[in-house]
Amino acid sequence: MNFEKIKRIFREGIHDMAVVWANEMKMTVKDEAVLIFFVLAPLAYPLVYSWIYNNEVVRDVPVAVVDYSHSAESREFIRLCDASPDVKVAYHCMSLTEARNLVGLHQVNGVLWFPSDFDTNINRGDQAHVSLFCDMSMMLSYKAIYQTVQAVSSKMGSEIQLSRSSGFTDRDDEVTLRPLDFDEVPIFNPSGGYGSFLLPAVLILVIQQTLLLGIGLAAGTNRENNRYGELIPIDRHYRGLFRIVMGKALCYFMIYAVVAAYLTLVLPKLFHFPMLSSPQALIGLLVPYLLACIFFGITLSCLVRYRENVMLLVVVTSLPFLFIAGLSWPSESIPAFWKGVSWLIPSTFGMNGFVAVNSMGATLQDISTEYFALWAQSLIYFFTSCLFYKVQIDRAIRQQNVENP
Amino acid sequence: MNTLSRIIQIAGRECRILVFKNPIYLFCMVLIPITVIMFMTTLLSAGQVEELPVGVVDQDNTSTSRQLIRKLDSFQTSQVVGHYANVNDARNAIQRGEIYAFLFIPEGTTGGLSLSHQPKISFYYNNAYLTAGSNTFRDLKTVATLGSAGVGQQKLSAIGKTEHEILAYLQPISVDTHLLNNPWSSYNIYLTTTMAPGLLMLMMFLISAYSIGTELKFGTSHEWMLMADGDPIVAVIGKMIPQTIVFLLVFYGFEFYIYYVLDFPHPGGVWAILLLGFVAVVSSQSFGVFLFGLAPSLRMSMTMCSLLAMLGFSMSGCTFPVFAMDGALQLLSWIFPLRHYFIIYQTNIFNGFPLVYAWPHWTMLIIFMILPFFVMRNIYRAMMVYKYIP
Repeated sequence: MNFEKIKRIFREGIHDMAVVWANEMKMTVKDEAVLIFFVLAPLAYPLVYSWIYNNEVVRDVPVAVVDYSHSAESREFIRLCDASPDVKVAYHCMSLTEARNLVGLHQVNGVLWFPSDFDTNINRGDQAHVSLFCDMSMMLSYKAIYQTVQAVSSKMGSEIQLSRSSGFTDRDDEVTLRPLDFDEVPIFNPSGGYGSFLLPAVLILVIQQTLLLGIGLAAGTNRENNRYGELIPIDRHYRGLFRIVMGKALCYFMIYAVVAAYLTLVLPKLFHFPMLSSPQALIGLLVPYLLACIFFGITLSCLVRYRENVMLLVVVTSLPFLFIAGLSWPSESIPAFWKGVSWLIPSTFGMNGFVAVNSMGATLQDISTEYFALWAQSLIYFFTSCLFYKVQIDRAIRQQNVENP
Repeated sequence: MNTLSRIIQIAGRECRILVFKNPIYLFCMVLIPITVIMFMTTLLSAGQVEELPVGVVDQDNTSTSRQLIRKLDSFQTSQVVGHYANVNDARNAIQRGEIYAFLFIPEGTTGGLSLSHQPKISFYYNNAYLTAGSNTFRDLKTVATLGSAGVGQQKLSAIGKTEHEILAYLQPISVDTHLLNNPWSSYNIYLTTTMAPGLLMLMMFLISAYSIGTELKFGTSHEWMLMADGDPIVAVIGKMIPQTIVFLLVFYGFEFYIYYVLDFPHPGGVWAILLLGFVAVVSSQSFGVFLFGLAPSLRMSMTMCSLLAMLGFSMSGCTFPVFAMDGALQLLSWIFPLRHYFIIYQTNIFNGFPLVYAWPHWTMLIIFMILPFFVMRNIYRAMMVYKYIP
């Protein structure tokens, strides 16, 4: 007898789940706002971001030069700076005041100042000084100027050293200049591109944020269309807890399987961002990530009263979620409290896992921490969504009992 | 009833909405901004990245190689956390996220040094994490250069050169770098000052559109317009004033906190700070109202506000400079209030130049303030004719 009963419950459960799934699908397609967040935003938004960061690196940062030395040496220094890819000598000024003015007018981002004894010091074998004044309002342009000037000074320095050294052969001089040679290898993201660094993380964040917005909006609509302001309609298919949660999750999962494939495969290809992911690692990461995001979204959606409130609450979290994941600001420097908060959010593990898989060619074993964390989050948020829906179902049943006692 | 008393009446009605009717307002206008401000300032409180984990592959294993490693460990930014047998193991450690970079010292380095064979070491750093990558790169490059300099120094002092001569020989040209106004190159000063206002402005956009849109949604739009005697300008101004006051309090609180409690550099002085705060708040509200007027539906206007505000963080040029972007984007950056906020902040507050140096951007923010007047008719029509469509 028991076997038959279980079979019936099982069949009924699948049927109810399918009904919930179908309703949710219909609603998604019909609701413009949900469609915007489920389809249009993930489709178009990353395109804009890729466009913004497609130049990857900062070239030809303008600097002003104040040359009190007026010597062959200072002019060589200026020429070398101008010839470098990252810096452009845009102005020659008579005084520091004039150059400072140009910084204020956003014409230059730094000022190079050669004191009058620059060449004298070089030629009499003393240490010469050159001053660099950097506008610190943009780190990337500061970095470009600083690294270029350092490189030029060390290049000119070795030429001067060479002229002063007394080796017998050229090889002697080489060894004297640099007894210990070194290679610098940027092992991943070799161009040091800003887009290649930021975009993979943003793509993953877009998945989570649009899911939160879409699920929240859909839930808000359900509530508003409901006569009693409840989340669950009075319907015999909306009785089983797992059926509702699984049915909804299945609908979102199907949509986002496509969205995630587009974001992780098509978009990086279009814009030539790094793509080192293996299929196993990518699927292994994205499945728990999508599930964690979906159940996280369903859990949060139970707290929303009006549909538009979702936007007020979710949009503002995007930037903090990006920062808290430890990409632009290394996780070692994040205070313990915020680190704890970051573990509650799927995107933290999703972004780090995806950067490892996509930009660094990591395997699923390499990202086992993220992998297990995402599965744990999926489970936890699944139970919290069930818990919240349990409350909702009880309320719906109560309403029905009030209606037809 | 004259205009002023109508405005006051509507403002009174708005106060009741903000405080009693819909708790989301105070939550979004006060609680979220305070959380966001605390988040940014505490997250970046270290200012500089410190003690990033790096690894070493030391196949040479001599006192010289160990000295190099100790030197690397002693830097503020780097911390040697792992020794690996070979480059492959170290690369795996990077992929697992355990280290950001490693130094590779092959066998025979010390021997080669003493025989003047010019041995070669290498260092690998990970730009997939750009901040950590460039910071570890700087340390590793310094260590590698110091390795050479150390040998040169020993040789030169052996033949009796003075310290002064050695310095002049090893580094004929030295660069004195002056980091203007942020000599610590603190990321807190760099990022919080633009990102936190950006988030506050995002809330202002959304709340402005939301508060007008919900009049439609809750069916109170007729009542609101009647109170203004059918004048949308009076209606909108009356509605916005209480919000402006709350936003201003929060914004000035934020500025007071970063400039006077955390002591962020602000050579521009208090008047520039106060003026920018006021202009930022009012132009953001106007921007939100304008977007609602363009697309008079709660959902569409809020969507547009969200999308534009999120793009604003990138288009402000605070992280990736606008002059490095595509030409069309450089033009487009003018429609983002945060872009102007950022330029004005860095010119007039951070670098302390007179206000006139950023006049095009002040002008743009003032234009944003005027924009709503062009869509007042739309708002009026929406309130009187349209129905809320979910």
